[in-house]
Amino acid sequence: MSTDRSSAVLRWIFLAPTMIGIGIFVLLPIIGSLVLAFFRWDIITAPQFVGLRNFTDMATDSTVAISFLNTAIFVVFAVAAQLGVAMLLAVLVQSRMPSWLRVFFRSTFFFPLVLSAASVSILMRYLFNESYGVINWALSLIGIPAVPWLTSTQWAMVVVIAVYVWQNFGFSFLLFIGGLGSIPQEIYEAGAIDGATGWKKFQRITLPLVSPTLLVASVMGIISALQVFDQPYVLTRGGPGDSTRTVVMVIYESAFRELEFGRASAIGLVLMIAIMLITAIQFRLARRFVFYQ
Amino acid sequence: MASTSTITRRSLLGAAGLAGAAGTVATWPRLTGADIPGRGEDMLTVLILGTAQDAAGRQVIADAFMEEHPDIPVLIQSVQATDWGDFFAKILTMVASGTAPDVVYTATEGAQLFAERLALPLDEYIRRDADEMRDYFDDVHPSLVEAFMYKGELFQLPLDFNAANMYLNLEVLERNGLEMPDEDWTRDDYTELLRGMRGDATPYYWTNRLFGGVVPWLYVNDTSFLVEERAEGGDEFWSTFYPGQERSGGYLWTGSNATDDRVHETFEYMRQLIEEGLAVRPEQGGGNTLVGLFASGRIGTTPAGGYWVQGLAEGGMAPDQYDVQYFPKWRSQRHQFGGAGYAIMRTTDKADQAWEWIKFCASKQAMELAFPTPATTPTRRSLASDNLYTGIGPEHWARFYDTLDRFPETGPIPAPPQQAAVETALIRNVSTALSGDPDQLTGSLETLDRDLREIFTEEDA
Repeated sequence: MSTDRSSAVLRWIFLAPTMIGIGIFVLLPIIGSLVLAFFRWDIITAPQFVGLRNFTDMATDSTVAISFLNTAIFVVFAVAAQLGVAMLLAVLVQSRMPSWLRVFFRSTFFFPLVLSAASVSILMRYLFNESYGVINWALSLIGIPAVPWLTSTQWAMVVVIAVYVWQNFGFSFLLFIGGLGSIPQEIYEAGAIDGATGWKKFQRITLPLVSPTLLVASVMGIISALQVFDQPYVLTRGGPGDSTRTVVMVIYESAFRELEFGRASAIGLVLMIAIMLITAIQFRLARRFVFYQ
Repeated sequence: MASTSTITRRSLLGAAGLAGAAGTVATWPRLTGADIPGRGEDMLTVLILGTAQDAAGRQVIADAFMEEHPDIPVLIQSVQATDWGDFFAKILTMVASGTAPDVVYTATEGAQLFAERLALPLDEYIRRDADEMRDYFDDVHPSLVEAFMYKGELFQLPLDFNAANMYLNLEVLERNGLEMPDEDWTRDDYTELLRGMRGDATPYYWTNRLFGGVVPWLYVNDTSFLVEERAEGGDEFWSTFYPGQERSGGYLWTGSNATDDRVHETFEYMRQLIEEGLAVRPEQGGGNTLVGLFASGRIGTTPAGGYWVQGLAEGGMAPDQYDVQYFPKWRSQRHQFGGAGYAIMRTTDKADQAWEWIKFCASKQAMELAFPTPATTPTRRSLASDNLYTGIGPEHWARFYDTLDRFPETGPIPAPPQQAAVETALIRNVSTALSGDPDQLTGSLETLDRDLREIFTEEDA
């Protein structure tokens, strides 16, 4: 009995630092943000209770609506491209090649992920500059006129997605490398006896067996993409117009430029609920589409 | 026979606890922020926008001040920010967390935000030390002072400013057989000049922001995107320091003027420049890239102030490779300027010491220390002189200051207390207005009008 009690105490002692950390740095800010969503607060004057006004205002705010639409478009294309590129490269890197070359590709594809998103975006901003960018210069060599990559509503989102995918696919790539490596070779050999080659082998063996990894990569990819900020902020500041303005950008601008902390909290709360719902749907769908060995 | 030593769980836990306690004690100053210079000490804290190097650069002024006022220790702090809006937001978070500085160096963009919510008026101090202050006001143009007056009270003494003049790359002009324009050149002269350099360099490069964006063009077309009014008040100040001057109690921007015909006309002119390939599409950002591009002869003209001289010199541009001209005339030749100066925070308990700092910084001695190079234009006319520009500035460097004399209607950046929201709305809608056809322009101005109305309505509520 006394041993049980002392083990219970020990358990709590070991858990305490983590729980205190989560409590202070995660739970308290979430609760604070939740409460703040029902107030109007500009930091200087005392918070003023406004009930649901921040939420009702949000419903009629065209900037918020556009930012949610932009974020949805961003998530769909960025996550699809990120997973597609990562999967393709992972399969290619796992194929027959010298081990030093495999190490080289793994390091190279993962490298952009360790760079600062702001630094990468500043560099990309130079590359994509309409007048002086290297990309337009290269295009001009083959007779293509300058493209207003960052200053036209048609192209700006494409560039933001491309830069994001370039920097972030390395994480999914690494997950897929691990997932592909865990598939027993015997299954491929058995498939080969049955005549499975190329695309069929990928579709019938690789994809189902790597589906748990695909689920993890897509869940993490979507959560991360829903919170995109650095790339559009540095590349376009949300422009031209609102064409690349994302939800987190609107949260930042509401709080730290317009000093509407209540409005920012309300938008943040809606985004958090959206992330939770989407993640829940993904796990629900996983029951049908994910195959565990 | 191998000997094994065992560590009991109890001793492991004890050691871990001891290590934790020792770590906490060792890092206590960092955990509590007590190691932040000046924290807990009775110092006058002065906050500037910039890096730690910028703060170190101003230490020379602090040292000179403390020599004169050994009883007032000064700590210069810097805050890095992407722009003034970001800087103001960080100051507000400092206020909220109870670590507000005593004095803040702030620009026109934040002058009315500070006046409305954060800063103390200086009028009583100025009245008290009128004799000492006369030297400063005799040397500073009244337009600059008026820009820092709000509802009849003066909140800052401007120390530096920049008017949006037009920089011309003489190498680009020469390559294309073009002449340096006259001072009274017009918008049409300017358009022809741009056409003359098309295909060789980017004729007109500009950035989408409050200073140097669409606003200078709106001003020369005798309009603005905001309704501009003047406040009453300040009569005693003006009659004391600038007798005979017809000045107001400061600027007021009271609502949207985005659907004004002249605003539309101005935007349409800029849209056509872009469509014709004479100007770049509006891109947001600072001027860092511009210096290199201009210095390498890839940009023909761009709007900027005296702050560019030092940057161009550092970029390897010789003074005879470029020159500066007034903004071209349209319906008027009203220029836009922005300035900066120190404001005393309402939260300070060292207002008297802060005033001594401000007064010292406005002295000629301190301003010489503050502006040793032409990285901005000093507000004291006597300092915007040969000493500052000889060997480094363009031939007509005097235009930086003369802009104020020659065009007395020249005014500040339109920056009401809700400047950040106004700037966001402007930048957002300028980019769409100038990137499409005339219909899109009209629609964007209507959206700008709606956004601005919402901002001003919210403020009233």
